[in-house]
Amino acid sequence: MTEFGTDLLDRTDTTLDVPWEVILWDDPVSLISLVVRVIKQVFNYDTAKAERLTMQVHHEGRSVVWSGDKETASAYCVALHSYALGATIQRSQ
Amino acid sequence: MSEPFRRVADRIIVDIPLTLREWLANAARKTAGDALDVSTSTHLRLLGPIDPTVDHDDPLTQLQRQMTVEGSLGRFITTHLDEHLSEDDAEEWIRAFQLILAAFSAEHAIVTAEDRDNLSQEDHYDMITLQSGISLLIEALDS
Repeated sequence: MTEFGTDLLDRTDTTLDVPWEVILWDDPVSLISLVVRVIKQVFNYDTAKAERLTMQVHHEGRSVVWSGDKETASAYCVALHSYALGATIQRSQ
Repeated sequence: MSEPFRRVADRIIVDIPLTLREWLANAARKTAGDALDVSTSTHLRLLGPIDPTVDHDDPLTQLQRQMTVEGSLGRFITTHLDEHLSEDDAEEWIRAFQLILAAFSAEHAIVTAEDRDNLSQEDHYDMITLQSGISLLIEALDS
């Protein structure tokens, strides 16, 4: 199989396996510092990425904070809920 | 004036008045009760389905989430009179305060910043108390 073919197959498989997103929703009572801390902890993101996502939630009302397989998306969502953050999962648009 | 929460080695020293501890413990008990009552806004806020296109989470996820809520609030209730906390317990206090704050938000139908800003003075004070507790605990835990 050519490298091109392998790449294409991998990409196709990934598309099929990765149809879910974790959405974090804005809420007017949770502190920004708490949200940044939880995002860092749950997803192991660096501070800059956690702050960028938090500010996106704050200004736009929501942010896709992770995408991948449904099982992992559910686990991440449950972890965000353990800090009472408003999070849902949905199929990728 | 001493800080309400401060780190000493691997412990978090708690220096808050008994009345505040009791107020928080009562709020935790109420949140735990309301979370299991499907007729409350708190239940929907804390245990509503993570996939909004379905009526319920799968049973395993439902159970896991219920145990997490009960676990954090229960741990706080058990330790609310303690004078020092392990790092794990301090983390559970943060979770418990967040759960109480979310229940408060659901009860008062706070959806927008305007809803929040229109709270009565007493409710605003309660919200600030919880937020301050979370902020100061994070500061102590991450120091």
